[in-house]
Amino acid sequence: MTDDKDVLRDVWFGRIPTCFTLYQDEITEREAEPYYLLLPRVSYLTLVTDKVKKHFQKVMRQEDISEIWFEYEGTPLKWHYPIGLLFDLLASSSALPWNIIVHFKSFPEKDLLHCPSKDAIEAHFMSCMKEADALKHKSQVINEMQKKDHKQLWMGLQNDRFDQFWAINRKLMEYPAEENGFRYIPFRIYQTTTERPFIQKLFRPVAADGQLHTLGDLLREVCPSAIAPEDGGKKNQVMIHGIEPMLETPLQWLSEHLSYPDNFLHISIIPQPID
Amino acid sequence: FQEALDLPSDDLEVIETQAASEVVKYEYHVLYSCSYQVPVLYFRASFLDGRPLTLQDIWNGVHESYKTRPLQGPWDTITQQEHPILGQPFFVLHPCKTTEFMAPVLKNSQKINRTVNYITSWLSIVGPAVGLNLPLSYAKATSRDE
Repeated sequence: MTDDKDVLRDVWFGRIPTCFTLYQDEITEREAEPYYLLLPRVSYLTLVTDKVKKHFQKVMRQEDISEIWFEYEGTPLKWHYPIGLLFDLLASSSALPWNIIVHFKSFPEKDLLHCPSKDAIEAHFMSCMKEADALKHKSQVINEMQKKDHKQLWMGLQNDRFDQFWAINRKLMEYPAEENGFRYIPFRIYQTTTERPFIQKLFRPVAADGQLHTLGDLLREVCPSAIAPEDGGKKNQVMIHGIEPMLETPLQWLSEHLSYPDNFLHISIIPQPID
Repeated sequence: FQEALDLPSDDLEVIETQAASEVVKYEYHVLYSCSYQVPVLYFRASFLDGRPLTLQDIWNGVHESYKTRPLQGPWDTITQQEHPILGQPFFVLHPCKTTEFMAPVLKNSQKINRTVNYITSWLSIVGPAVGLNLPLSYAKATSRDE
């Protein structure tokens, strides 16, 4: 029987084989070879692509290089979304490797946030963690931590150090003995077919009668169209970290085990792939 | 997040640049954060040709008195974030200190027995730091002496 703790490791060490190709209109001094890399599902594009940047900048002139940005099949990739979320949402039905185009010009100001430095990624990551704890514990746990604990969470993510990260993160997964779970569950549901970037609402893990709410309960409440069969029964896939958890799974368990390092459950609703 | 109020600036704001005057269009959105249970101010600005202003440009347009304590006080941090409904980049005033600085406002209004419109009061505090000066008519319209 798999230990629940093994799930935490499997989630943390998930990887996506990716092929980075330079956009054809970029000006190069010689031909740019594609660059292959295993991307951590739980991290962020601009945190893990220094080598990609260096590789392509070797064949370009300084004056042709501006802020790097990434694109998949015409869609600019939001660096502030975890890599695994981007893949599940946009590319999970396509064959591997994930083919990403690299740009150094014409930054799409209307679509993407700027990422001026690693500090910006840290600020974004910590902001998400704080929001998650506001929902789970009215911010009490994260505010009680010292600055060095916050730093350890970030360094753990940045340096791919599971033990370092979870030494602190486990405190964010606790709840009072008299409760059966967190106050509210931090989650976001993403669909490419809607206008809104995501759905986020207040949702309790435990019902008034003490029953644990399930993933199905959450979807029926906040996104019923996602699981109701339409068009003569074409169902969607409900995906987290590349898998489809059973809808009967308790939401509290999902929050404790399948959250991303930012402590949010990032859930993708995607059309069933055509076999 | 829910859209509580969408406040497009009713006037085009003119700012001076080194070479010539340029017209800048500011856009402010008031949203409600259910995570923090407070309002949050989202904003962006662009020149008429669509070129966006950077955070530095916006900061340069802010009144001197708000600059002396940059990024301190009730407006805490300004960062670029994705608008949760439009999905586009906006600048955001971080909401974590809101409850803290609104508390004395609410307490005082109770003491002098006067109703206060939370949004109007909150916006009159944070707005000026990012170029939004709420006309007095808002306050007159939304509060009254008991």
